[in-house]
Amino acid sequence: MTQQPDDILALDHLGKTFRVGFWGKKVQAVRDVSLTLKRGESLGYLGPNGSGKTTSIKCILSLIQPTSGKIRLFGADPSDATARARVGYLPEAPYFYDYLKPTEVLDYVGKLYGLDSATRKKRIPYLLDRLGLAHAMDRELRGFSKGMLQRVGIAQSLLSDPDLLIYDEPLSGLDPIGRKEVRELMAELRREGKSMFFSSHVLTDIETLCDAVCILDRGEVVAQGRLSDLLRMDKLESEALVDLPTDGQDAATTRLLAVAGVELMEQTGAMLRLRLPTDAVPGLTAAVVDVHATLRELSQRRESLEELFVQRAVHVSTDGQRTVPASRSA
Amino acid sequence: MSIQTTHKKLTLRIDGPLAALGRISAVAGNTLREAGRNKLFFGLLGVTILMLVFSILLSDLALADQKIRLVTDFGLAVIPLVCIATAVLLGAVLLYKEIDRKTLYAILPKPIRRGEFLLGKFLGLSVLLFGQLVVLTVCWAGVLYLRGGSFSLALAQALGLSYVEILLVTSAALFFSALSRPVLSGVLTMGVFLIGRITYVINDLMQATKGVFAEVPAMRALGRVLVALVPDLSTFNIADELQAGVALPPDYFVHATLYGLSWVGFFVALSLLVFERRDLV
Ligand SMILES: Nc1ncnc2c1ncn2[C@@H]1O[C@H](COP(=O)(O)OP(=O)(O)O)[C@@H](O)[C@H]1O
Ligand SMILES: [Mg+2]
Repeated sequence: MTQQPDDILALDHLGKTFRVGFWGKKVQAVRDVSLTLKRGESLGYLGPNGSGKTTSIKCILSLIQPTSGKIRLFGADPSDATARARVGYLPEAPYFYDYLKPTEVLDYVGKLYGLDSATRKKRIPYLLDRLGLAHAMDRELRGFSKGMLQRVGIAQSLLSDPDLLIYDEPLSGLDPIGRKEVRELMAELRREGKSMFFSSHVLTDIETLCDAVCILDRGEVVAQGRLSDLLRMDKLESEALVDLPTDGQDAATTRLLAVAGVELMEQTGAMLRLRLPTDAVPGLTAAVVDVHATLRELSQRRESLEELFVQRAVHVSTDGQRTVPASRSA
Repeated sequence: MSIQTTHKKLTLRIDGPLAALGRISAVAGNTLREAGRNKLFFGLLGVTILMLVFSILLSDLALADQKIRLVTDFGLAVIPLVCIATAVLLGAVLLYKEIDRKTLYAILPKPIRRGEFLLGKFLGLSVLLFGQLVVLTVCWAGVLYLRGGSFSLALAQALGLSYVEILLVTSAALFFSALSRPVLSGVLTMGVFLIGRITYVINDLMQATKGVFAEVPAMRALGRVLVALVPDLSTFNIADELQAGVALPPDYFVHATLYGLSWVGFFVALSLLVFERRDLV
């Protein structure tokens, strides 16, 4: 093992090609994905539906075999049960035996981890209670809502007190309250020092959950790195709110928009919302003085993850090529 | 507010044969539990018990000295068949159901080897079929008693061999279900069973100097292949010998059991080989 001991997960040029249909047509679900996850880190694995997230995760858990590349899980091959013992996995839209009760599902899982019955007896009700399932502990899963199943899934992923949590779309399919609860739970687990690898196709609510992201589109990485690095570059943009003078508004607007780099985002009455490169700020302020307008607010634009995502993913899917410069994918 | 209960590390017992046995029995237990909720299983069981009871009425039609014989024949033929039908029906969906309902995805990433999972499924179904055989045998023994007969050691031995046959068919079902979808795997398992039951006939026909096997060389080749590929299930059916009062040598049972278990081992090993590398998508 040549890798650092604190690399708990490493994908090395991972690729997976499925063969479908009678003629064995190739579908490249994942192409050349490389990443590492260090102990205590939380990595968001993002991408639109069908971008290859679940396929990658199935490779990491040895449910399917990669067609190319290598995976190290705690320094071992994923087919090694001992390595998998340190992982808590939440499948996408988890399904369990619907004729079992939550306590029975967890008991079964506990046996697979070799937890003795005293530990199981103590830990299972505790976890179910912590996940708000105390009232449903002795009901069969068949009547459970999606949110409740998700919680059973999270409970079983925590049973063995794993070092690494691999969650596939933990927030999808939940109502807003459910999303908030699961998000808070994950934040809590992160504070407890769990390493996390989770996928999502929705971005708004995961920014706060991860240190780093890897964004996939059509099986390929389009952006990768620490969130702060990825989003910092876009701090080169600024946003300005300008109040126009009472007369000559059209002329004033024309003059302001003539400043190089300035774009109109929206206009509400006599107020303009402008977007401009930060180095065009002096030019804009000069023009504002010129036309007797007022600069109400000037702030640095921090691109949201969502915008970054749309910008890069859409880019790729419109012309079908990788257009992200190498420097951007750290 | 913390999620974890334990501040000291939990002990996971995952190494060694004992731990493996624990996992296999956990899977077997769950398989048994699932089958225990299967309506088809109980339906079949109920219908068979009714049929056994009905054989009392049927035997009234027979001549006095034939009454016991009719009930005996009926039980020896029907009980194994019902268990085998159950093995085919439940065996065909044994793995497919887990994949189709996606329950497998939550289980296999746990520290369990695929082979252990497969053995657990096989063991669970085998235990279930054993239970079914025992229940049916007890009912049948009751019917025999009502007809003035009694359950003998020879009958127990005959049903013991039937259980070996049942296990063999179950292992074939396991193999086909690791390989293909339910309908196909059910059909293939039935094929093995039906051909297995008549291989001795095929054999006899090939020895004969007349008939299609003697006259058409292609049929002869086909016959040879079938006989070689499919276990000879007549080994496990000693009802005729029992009725004829032919005493079988004591080592017949040992040999027959070993023959059956080798086939079971062969099918289970093949299933492991197939399942181990299969993409579970
Ligand atoms: N078993 C399979 N056979 C063929 N194609 C598949 C299979 N599983 C996934 N794919 C394809 O691989 C791509 C990635 O799928 P998936 O990993 O499920 O994406 P995501 O989880 O990001 O939504 C999709 O185009 C999907 O159609
Ligand atoms: Mg997915």
